[in-house]
Amino acid sequence: MSETSYAVLGMFDSPDALMQAIPKVRATNLGTVEAYTPYPIHGIEEALGLRRSPLGGMVLVMGILGAITAFGFEYWISAIDYPIITGGKAANSWEAFIPIMFEVTVLFATFTAGLGMLLLLNKLPLFGHPVLSSKSITGITRDRYALALEAESDAFDSAAAARALQEAGAVEVEVLPAPERSPFLTSDFILRTLGGIFAACVVSGLAMFFGTKWFPLLPPMRHIEDQPRLNAQKASAFFKDGHGMQLPVPGTVARGYLPTATGTQEQAASLVNPLPRTKEVFTLGHKVYSNRCEVCHGALANGVGSLTAAYGGKPANLQAQQFRDYPDGEIYWAIVNGKNAMPSHAPYLTDQERWAVVHYVRALQRAQNAKDEDLKVVAP
Amino acid sequence: MRSDAAIPANDIPEGLFELPLTEGRVTPGSLDDQVLSFPETKPPKQWYIGLAITLSALFTGLAFIGYTFFTGIGAWGNNSPVFWAFDIINFVFWVGIGHAGTLISAILFLFRKRWRNAIARYAEAMTIFAVMCAVIFPLIHVGRPWLAFWLFPYPNQRALWTNFRSPLLWDVFAVNTYFSVSAMFWYLGLIPDIASMRDRTTSKFRKLIYTALALGWRGAATHWQHYEKAYLLLAGLATGLVLSVHSVVSFDFATSVVPGWHMTIFPPYFVAGAIFAGFSMVVMVLVVVRETMQLKNLITMRHLDVMNKVILAMSCIMGYSYMMEGFTAWYSMNEYLHHSFMNIISGNYGWAGWLTISCNILIPQILWFKKARTSYFWMILVAIGVTIGMWFERFVIIVISLHQDYLPSAWRIYKPTMVDFGILLGTFGLFFTMVLIFARVLPVIATTEVKAILPGAQPSHHGDDHHV
Repeated sequence: MSETSYAVLGMFDSPDALMQAIPKVRATNLGTVEAYTPYPIHGIEEALGLRRSPLGGMVLVMGILGAITAFGFEYWISAIDYPIITGGKAANSWEAFIPIMFEVTVLFATFTAGLGMLLLLNKLPLFGHPVLSSKSITGITRDRYALALEAESDAFDSAAAARALQEAGAVEVEVLPAPERSPFLTSDFILRTLGGIFAACVVSGLAMFFGTKWFPLLPPMRHIEDQPRLNAQKASAFFKDGHGMQLPVPGTVARGYLPTATGTQEQAASLVNPLPRTKEVFTLGHKVYSNRCEVCHGALANGVGSLTAAYGGKPANLQAQQFRDYPDGEIYWAIVNGKNAMPSHAPYLTDQERWAVVHYVRALQRAQNAKDEDLKVVAP
Repeated sequence: MRSDAAIPANDIPEGLFELPLTEGRVTPGSLDDQVLSFPETKPPKQWYIGLAITLSALFTGLAFIGYTFFTGIGAWGNNSPVFWAFDIINFVFWVGIGHAGTLISAILFLFRKRWRNAIARYAEAMTIFAVMCAVIFPLIHVGRPWLAFWLFPYPNQRALWTNFRSPLLWDVFAVNTYFSVSAMFWYLGLIPDIASMRDRTTSKFRKLIYTALALGWRGAATHWQHYEKAYLLLAGLATGLVLSVHSVVSFDFATSVVPGWHMTIFPPYFVAGAIFAGFSMVVMVLVVVRETMQLKNLITMRHLDVMNKVILAMSCIMGYSYMMEGFTAWYSMNEYLHHSFMNIISGNYGWAGWLTISCNILIPQILWFKKARTSYFWMILVAIGVTIGMWFERFVIIVISLHQDYLPSAWRIYKPTMVDFGILLGTFGLFFTMVLIFARVLPVIATTEVKAILPGAQPSHHGDDHHV
């Protein structure tokens, strides 16, 4: 046997045979004794002299760390960084943080137990282990039990080890050569990679934190504020007068603001109501009248509105002969310019609405002073 | 393993004598040949038919989810005041189904109930699939699922943090933790089994996949020592977790002020209901697995008998809880609570209330008889009844409580739409598709765990029953 052997495996057919062999093989002191079994065999830890698994302590520490992390995080967010009162509870109402603290504790503890066992204690994954490429592995993961004498130094005597195993009752013996190449994806590699990623995250996170803290004058993307544009009061060399904003061309009329009813009321008498006497126009006139005119002139245009009683004013009784004789244009003029105590309604009403009110006032006047022939028109 | 020769049977009262966990002669090698050969054989025609049915259901559900995304969640029946309906019912239902797996794998492990070893793997797998089905519903219920990551507290440019006083956020943590822990537990249990499959397969392709998944497991005694410790710790942690998850789900309701929701009994009541529904689903699936995969010698009638006893016990707890709800309503002298309880037994949805009571309380009483506990007909009838009953229980809790609360002017009758039903069907499709695929690609029975409890598996000088 060459000096490059890794270990010698002895196979046993029953757990009893394995357990009886362990003390005999250990007594030879030829190398490290390790057992390979398809399922956990009880009492084998004591027989092999293994130390207790430190996993419990690791899980306890990480569980406590998880509890502290979660509680601290929740408290800092809810009470310090972002204290928003919800449900009428105080910002530092710690009782509400318990459920998540519990969940995170379990999460930390579980991943410590699982990954700590695999990566840290068992050093898995390890794909290149000599036992995996042995002939015996099909039995080991099925129904046979192996005892291995593993080389501790170059002085390992595989022939003596094979003999010792056979003497202890092994039915087969297999010498495992040392692995030819190093395994490619080991737990060490994974842990180092994860550690490297974690370190990179911490370093870059700190760099960003202090970077933005120490150089706050470097604003992040603000392109939307940097567009070239002219504000209303700014100067501009583009125009001759140097103003950023230009006056409109003389004579410009804004849309919906056609100048009307200028001059005196008498001059306005000649204006003709441009709207037809349709139902829509009367509906509009009624709506505008009840919004703007009715409080003073009253629903019947007789000068008895609800404000009259309250404030004692004397608005015009539009049913008086004087107003019934007004041409349409003069009523229109009064709406636009106001008269006596009545203010101008021009700012509130479009031209169309003013003329619609004129039509409606005419209708009210006629309704209050109806003649016999008016009835005939209505009758079918 | 207690051998018959070591302990005379007549010294032990009949009820305490432990029956064998497997039937016939099972050796570690024959166990591997029986269980681990499934993934290497061609599935039978029935399997493809089953898969076609479940995949059709799955794609129907996907189409309806797509329709929901396209039109918005107005496509569902929820509207004021019943803002939570099918989505939350289904969420609670599926999370509950998952609880049986964790109970079997963790709590029964701590209690050293060795019969759990044969069924734990399937039950754990069902936990994972059920939680996957469950998380779909809150995700699509947020309306814009592509923004669902806002549920996590991460530093963001909006300078906003999540509200840690909200039970809905507790839910996010509870369900995510539950899924991660269940997946970890499941995978750790699978590693030695996958190693067995790796070493027995002749296909190069399978060997590559199993090699990667087994992480180079070689069954070393030093590894088993840490492995067993990790498994024990995980079982202990998962036990606390499984009790907390459905408690947290019940906080979604219990911490609100809606009459019918605001009850202190909710956490234990929800946990019991979850185990109840989950065990029924496990029984249903196990009967099919046992029959179609010729596993009668490993999943024995004794397993089903014990499972049905658990279902019966949970049914009694549910009955007590329902009565406590009525008692609380009466004893509180609160007219709103009174009204909400009367709604369950005589309101617009009284039929749902009575359906819940009959399916969950009355039908399972048949399991008092051993004949019913060991008869496929009765156990399947009870299991289907309980599944329907537990779904309607969540309907009763959510819809009946919401549709009539304090303000009569806001009362409204809730009607689900076709889309609601379609998405529910889709999750059933997803669940059973996964169950079917799992049955063909991974060992359905934890062979390593069963090997350890076979007769003669442990050294005879260590003859007590302290092993797993």
